[in-house]
Amino acid sequence: MKHISCLLLSLLLGLLVSADPKYKELLNLQPLNPASLLASFNFKSNASLQSYEQQHFKYIPRSLGQILQHAKTRELHLRFSTGRWDDESWGARPWGGTKEGGTGVELWAWVEGDSDADSFARWVTLNNALSGLFCASLNFIDSTRSTRPRMTFEPASSVFNASSENLYLLHGSLPREVVCTENLTPFLKLLPCKGKAGIASLLDGHKLFDASWQSMAIDVRSVCPENGSECSIEMEQTVDMVLDVDRSKRPRDNPIPRPIPSEHLQCDQSKPYAGDEACYPSDANLGQSWTLAEIFGRPIQGSCLAEDSYGQLRDSVCINVPHEREVNLYGDAVETKNEAGTSRCFAIPASNPFELVLSHIGPQTFNKVSQPPLYASRSFTGHGQERGGVQTLLTNPSTSSSIQFVYFETLPWFMKPYLHTLTARLTTASTTSPDIIEETFYRPALDRRRGTQLELLISVPADSAVILTYDFDKAILRYTEYPPDANRGFDVAPAVIRLLPSSGNSSSNSQAPLYIRTSSLLLPLPTPDFSMPYNVIILTSTVMALAFGMIFNLLVRRFVGADEVEGWNLAALKAKARGRVAVLVDRVSGKGQKLEKTVQ
Amino acid sequence: MALISPTILALRRDPRLLKLPPYLSALCIFIGAVWLCLLPLNEYSRRTYISENALLPGQVHTYFGGSEQNVFNAYKYEVQALVGKDQEAISTKLSDIFESAGLRPARQKYEYHAAGNTYSGENVYAILHAPRGDATEAILLVAAWTNMDGILNQSGVALALALARYFKRWSLWSKDIIILITGDSRAGPQAWVDAYHDEHSSPFVAPLPLKSGALQGVVVVDNALDHRFESLHIVYDGINGQLPNLDLFNTAVSIASGQLGIGVSLQRMWKHNDSYQERLQTMLRGMFSQGLGYSSGPHSSFVPYHVDAITLQAVGDGWQDEMAMGRCVESIFRSLNNLLEHFHQSFFFYLLMQADRFVSIGTYLPSAMLVAVNFTIMAIALWIRSGRPPAPKVASTMPEKQNPEMEIVQENNMTAITPKENLTILERQLFLPVTLVVSLHFLGAIPLYVFINSSHNTLPLYFLLFTFLNFFQPTVLATLIHRHTPLTPQHHLLLQSFSLLVLGIFLATLATLNFSLSLFVGLLSTPLSFTGNPFSSSVDAKDAIPSKTRQHIWTLVLQLLSPPVVVWAVCYIWGADLGEMLAEAAFGWKVNGLWTQVVIWCVWWPAWTVGGILVNPLL
Repeated sequence: MKHISCLLLSLLLGLLVSADPKYKELLNLQPLNPASLLASFNFKSNASLQSYEQQHFKYIPRSLGQILQHAKTRELHLRFSTGRWDDESWGARPWGGTKEGGTGVELWAWVEGDSDADSFARWVTLNNALSGLFCASLNFIDSTRSTRPRMTFEPASSVFNASSENLYLLHGSLPREVVCTENLTPFLKLLPCKGKAGIASLLDGHKLFDASWQSMAIDVRSVCPENGSECSIEMEQTVDMVLDVDRSKRPRDNPIPRPIPSEHLQCDQSKPYAGDEACYPSDANLGQSWTLAEIFGRPIQGSCLAEDSYGQLRDSVCINVPHEREVNLYGDAVETKNEAGTSRCFAIPASNPFELVLSHIGPQTFNKVSQPPLYASRSFTGHGQERGGVQTLLTNPSTSSSIQFVYFETLPWFMKPYLHTLTARLTTASTTSPDIIEETFYRPALDRRRGTQLELLISVPADSAVILTYDFDKAILRYTEYPPDANRGFDVAPAVIRLLPSSGNSSSNSQAPLYIRTSSLLLPLPTPDFSMPYNVIILTSTVMALAFGMIFNLLVRRFVGADEVEGWNLAALKAKARGRVAVLVDRVSGKGQKLEKTVQ
Repeated sequence: MALISPTILALRRDPRLLKLPPYLSALCIFIGAVWLCLLPLNEYSRRTYISENALLPGQVHTYFGGSEQNVFNAYKYEVQALVGKDQEAISTKLSDIFESAGLRPARQKYEYHAAGNTYSGENVYAILHAPRGDATEAILLVAAWTNMDGILNQSGVALALALARYFKRWSLWSKDIIILITGDSRAGPQAWVDAYHDEHSSPFVAPLPLKSGALQGVVVVDNALDHRFESLHIVYDGINGQLPNLDLFNTAVSIASGQLGIGVSLQRMWKHNDSYQERLQTMLRGMFSQGLGYSSGPHSSFVPYHVDAITLQAVGDGWQDEMAMGRCVESIFRSLNNLLEHFHQSFFFYLLMQADRFVSIGTYLPSAMLVAVNFTIMAIALWIRSGRPPAPKVASTMPEKQNPEMEIVQENNMTAITPKENLTILERQLFLPVTLVVSLHFLGAIPLYVFINSSHNTLPLYFLLFTFLNFFQPTVLATLIHRHTPLTPQHHLLLQSFSLLVLGIFLATLATLNFSLSLFVGLLSTPLSFTGNPFSSSVDAKDAIPSKTRQHIWTLVLQLLSPPVVVWAVCYIWGADLGEMLAEAAFGWKVNGLWTQVVIWCVWWPAWTVGGILVNPLL
């Protein structure tokens, strides 16, 4: 197995060098289970470093290239993701998790600079420029959301040595950012065929953003072949999505899942009560058939720059189903089946629509999903508005080998963890095991200036699970620091887990890093009643009015001694009042007399 | 201001002012009680309204019906077939149904021990992932296997299963939906919600294998009927009298009655024709249930975790079928799905007197506060009286004619002449009253402990024994104290003052947390304010001890209003079994974290005991 993979790798490298395509694209379709389909779109553009530096852009888009040059960014990774990868039913992640980000937007880059401050200034420039380019709020990645990870990321470029070339790694994420069509459009514009032809023509916003999980990635790096030929700059755009086949096949003009007519229900007739009134549904949707147009809304519109330098067509669509399963084509494409019997690929000629029909056969016609190397789930513990806890369950499903990984978490500054409460224990043990956490890198938060950065080197023995817990306090924010819809809570960015190659089989794994991300968390903070300011204004005004009234009263009043006041006693007052009443009575009676007089 | 203050200062030592507090205190109680009776009037209550605009109740068309009825019927047959099977068979079948709907099931075992009973079972639940969600928020649909009366919730469970399958097809969910079938209505939901927040007591309660995000709302379906129902009974009381956000209740009412035309009732008021008596009755039933603070349905356990929850219970015999209930749940879930923020807009403190009429805390709180304040007023008055030197008889009757004894005071070259009476200092002997009041409050832990830890067989016997002992307890204590140190009149005043002070503080605080409990305890304790001869014409300390006849009358009144007697009376009026009620209380303490009995034994009972000692003729 090892040999084969080495051989494949060298073959692939050989192809890369010899054919030297400046642009290529590939769509990989993989049915995961009866109900879902993983579609991975990959677009790779190349340019020589020299032409890039001279601002001679062809396949690398000028808009992005100039931003990177201006911000002196040598390597860029930008991710837009929504949903969550369900690794229990979908297995291992596509691309080993390297082409996905946490929920929302995630960005990390190696930026040139003379100092930390210098690199940070360029990072801000980069964020602002990308924010405009991708219609995303990347400009909100400020100092509180930026970190400098130590162990989690390594440059993918083969040219530089980060420390010697004054390169700084900066990482930021926006878990609350909602990814939608406005991010897809600029993404497609970066492609040479702008989504009009080739596999990119399948990327329709309605279908992409109806996916159960989707991730868009942009990676820019420089590659120097080992044979010493010219270095090149490589840009890779990736879109991965897991589509629900049932949902995608629903027609666009009638998307409401109304109950199907009872005569179309697939019932389990073996039940004793089976009849026209009761229907125990049987699992009828195993291995259902679909076409590209049903799933993506339209067929592939020809190919985009599919011919290599020798005029040969390259494969642009692959589907991973066993050879037993029938795949029908509409349009003239060249089919190649792989030897292992698990997939087939198609080379599509330009300017011809291409359609593919996967037939409906029984349940055995799926490739087995591969087991992920690690399961990670993170949740909050406790309740209340003062403090809480975070609990992460890390399960190693392998029965034979232990696993070592870096666990990287950035927490907002208003979530104040207590590092002394950080414990890791095996689920089987009741006490903490000191040898699980091998290394800790911790950078505490500064209020309103930076968040907490926590990187842990953890190893989990074979066939066991580790529970990582720590407690934290919730800070009280200032009135103006709350975002709109403050009662929703505050999003905490997903944790990033980088699996390190185990010592046993380092030769085959050392090239391919594996990443896993947990889901993001929603942190409820004590939130004021925002109608309170009005009450406060009213109360303050009242107090001020009272105070002013009293002081004004004291200022303008003439003070006299108590003995100078005439008749200030109860008797005098009574007499005075009596006098007034008498006058009043007199007046009334007098009036009465007058009236009488006039009547007479 | 400057002109009034000397007048006030002059009034400070006026004996007439000292006679005022008892009347003020009585007035407070009177206003408090009348206030409560005014609340059902149109002028004091308000119509309910949806405060959170995002909810948009009843604005969507509901589609649950048609062939879903067939699926529901099949699930109902499956549920009925499980009657009498063991827990394992039930859980396996439920898991199978979840799995066939495309959801991953999970289970949780729990076991509680309270009052000698074992409450065990297993919860089965499945999480429907929001299609584009990231597990940050979740809404919960609960159906208990047996309802509060222990009857199989056949249609409710089948409905939850059918809805799970139906909801799976929609792609519009913004929050995860958790469908939970609990083993029973009391222990199961508590075990689940404790474990969800990782606050469960292992090893009796297992942790949850699957979790989602923050719970935003809970709807419990309870339909044990085998026929069509007439109306929906909405139950909303949480543990310790905490209530869910009024918006959730209003949403359910507006959807059920407005959108689907199903009648809505609350607090078991099946017939409600909007008269004053019925409003008052509904409100009082709500207050009783709030005051007792026990679990009134599976939703109750969620409320203390700041998760808003209600139970929809199908009642009566009418023409609404289960599908209508399903559409109601569907529409509520669509509304909850719209929520951008956690429920926070509407009221958390309210009294409902009808499905669409309520009073909010600002309107009703004064009544409990006035009742609590009466104790504080009396405590202050008694404290002042306890420090007054015995005044000469003549001075009090003819103050103008007699020249009071004067004394010259010199301070910093200033000289003043003041009546001698103002300068005499009477030392208050605090040790005995403080010790007695504090120790009696701690003594409350004994009945608390006994009634929580006894088994349900012995509980009625213990309670009978306690009632008997409690009858003689003030007399015994009074004799003991009298033999040790005979109580002076000042002791009397101070003892009563401290006891009332503590009671007043406790009740005022409690009124903001559990209004009804505070009000009921307050009203039942009102005689304690007036046992010490407060309306007598003299304000001297030695007149604080009432005459023998009055002591006998007061003893009788207090014995009738003693905590155990009130518990007996409540059981008699409601026709409840005393043993069951006590077992329920013990279960509430151990499982739900109910602290009504703490208020009874550590606040009310000590105050009553002090009152009993003070009016004891032996003293």
